[in-house]
Amino acid sequence: MASIMRPGLLRQACTKPAASPRMLSTITTTSTINRPLAQQLRPAFQRSVMPKSTRIAAFHATQRNQLLPPLPQKILGTVNDPAPVPNPDYAHGSYHWSFERIVSAGLIPLTIAPFAAGSLNPLTDSILCALLVVHSHIGFESCIIDYFPKARVPLVRTISMWALRIGTLTLGVALYSFETNDVGITEAVARLWHA
Amino acid sequence: MACTRAFTRLTMKRIAVRPAVFTRGLASVNDTHARDPISKVAEKIVPDAARAPIPESKTSTIKEPEPTKDAKTKTFHIYRWNPDEPSSKPKMQSYTLDMNKTGPMMLDALIRIKNEVDPTLTFRRSCREGICGSCAMNIDGVNTLACLCRIPTDTTKESRIYPLPHMYVVKDLVPDMTLFYKQYRSVKPYLQRTTAAPDGREYRQSKEDRKKLDGLYECILCACCSTSCPSYWWNQEEYLGPAVLLQSYRWIADSRDERKAERQDALNNSMSLYRCHTILNCSRTCPKGLNPALAIAEIKKSMAFT
Repeated sequence: MASIMRPGLLRQACTKPAASPRMLSTITTTSTINRPLAQQLRPAFQRSVMPKSTRIAAFHATQRNQLLPPLPQKILGTVNDPAPVPNPDYAHGSYHWSFERIVSAGLIPLTIAPFAAGSLNPLTDSILCALLVVHSHIGFESCIIDYFPKARVPLVRTISMWALRIGTLTLGVALYSFETNDVGITEAVARLWHA
Repeated sequence: MACTRAFTRLTMKRIAVRPAVFTRGLASVNDTHARDPISKVAEKIVPDAARAPIPESKTSTIKEPEPTKDAKTKTFHIYRWNPDEPSSKPKMQSYTLDMNKTGPMMLDALIRIKNEVDPTLTFRRSCREGICGSCAMNIDGVNTLACLCRIPTDTTKESRIYPLPHMYVVKDLVPDMTLFYKQYRSVKPYLQRTTAAPDGREYRQSKEDRKKLDGLYECILCACCSTSCPSYWWNQEEYLGPAVLLQSYRWIADSRDERKAERQDALNNSMSLYRCHTILNCSRTCPKGLNPALAIAEIKKSMAFT
């Protein structure tokens, strides 16, 4: 009876020595005084009173802050209306996809060729640099579109897109100066390889 | 008139020798039992011993189930959330079942839990043989149909059942499929043609053309693949998802359909189709063994350089 009325005593007596893996994963404060009474009561009550087959566990063991908590559900139109179909946009659709594939496929021979041939050509080097810039831009752009939906976080989307553009431009300028003023990336990789 | 009132007052007065039955008949403010029916008055006089309620333990033939000696008990953890208590968090509830008395499939276990343990457990099911696609749920981390998923015989391993991931939950294991069906509607999943059939009877198709639809028409729209796709998780509102794209390809590939270009144009933007990054979770999880990723790749291929 005393244990039901003062579960703090019981819990401390029972669970103190067991250092389970769960303890490591959660933020456990050893003082039970700070927590609300209901939280202290619940586990002890469930363990003692409820039958084993219907025991209920808390769904989330940890307190966590979601980055983008789900919004309330919003249905456009009635349930019998189709979802809106966007207008065809070839530049961001099939052309973009084809271009992306060409760039990706083109990078493979351009990466291997200078080392396989053993000769350094400034032209292939510059093409490789240009394709690398475009390829990385497309890749990061895809990440931004995936993870920052325009309807949800318009400001973050805009900021990150501009950050990406600035970053790409900087990379382009940096690679250009590296190609013109220094040895070029193929030679740099070759030297690093032999270093 | 005064005479009547005096007479009434006389009858209302309780005389010692008069039995209770004869006093009834007139409404009164003082006497609350005045308008009681005769039967009630009679009850008051003679309390009926036969009317005493018999406790349920003496009338019921149903006994508490006793676990048999060689019981193979297995624990199921099931996601519970009740819309009637919107402020309470979702929780996992554990049920133990004797596997000797349960059917081989997960759906059998769920039905048995609902019938015998907890009638408040809510899930969709209909055909129990993998044709209707109602019982799609996340079982032990894999989206599948409960009716096609065998319960692992290892009783030490506990099974965990969740609703389809990243869907709005209606109750317990029931996800809200409104958006999914609206998206399905948006790809116009029906034959569109303007020219009549040459013989005026049927739209005929060669065997080769028919063969192109194999692996597409079998889809039952259970949404297992769509809800296993991370791209669909993040961009549900705009990306159509593997299931709907497979259905779209089923009509693009159909030789009898005459709106192939329109169908492709509807997908030709950055979101509807091209959010597919060939993660291939869809093909891995499909409980019917279909290949939505291949269908999406075919759409992309047919639209490339056009």
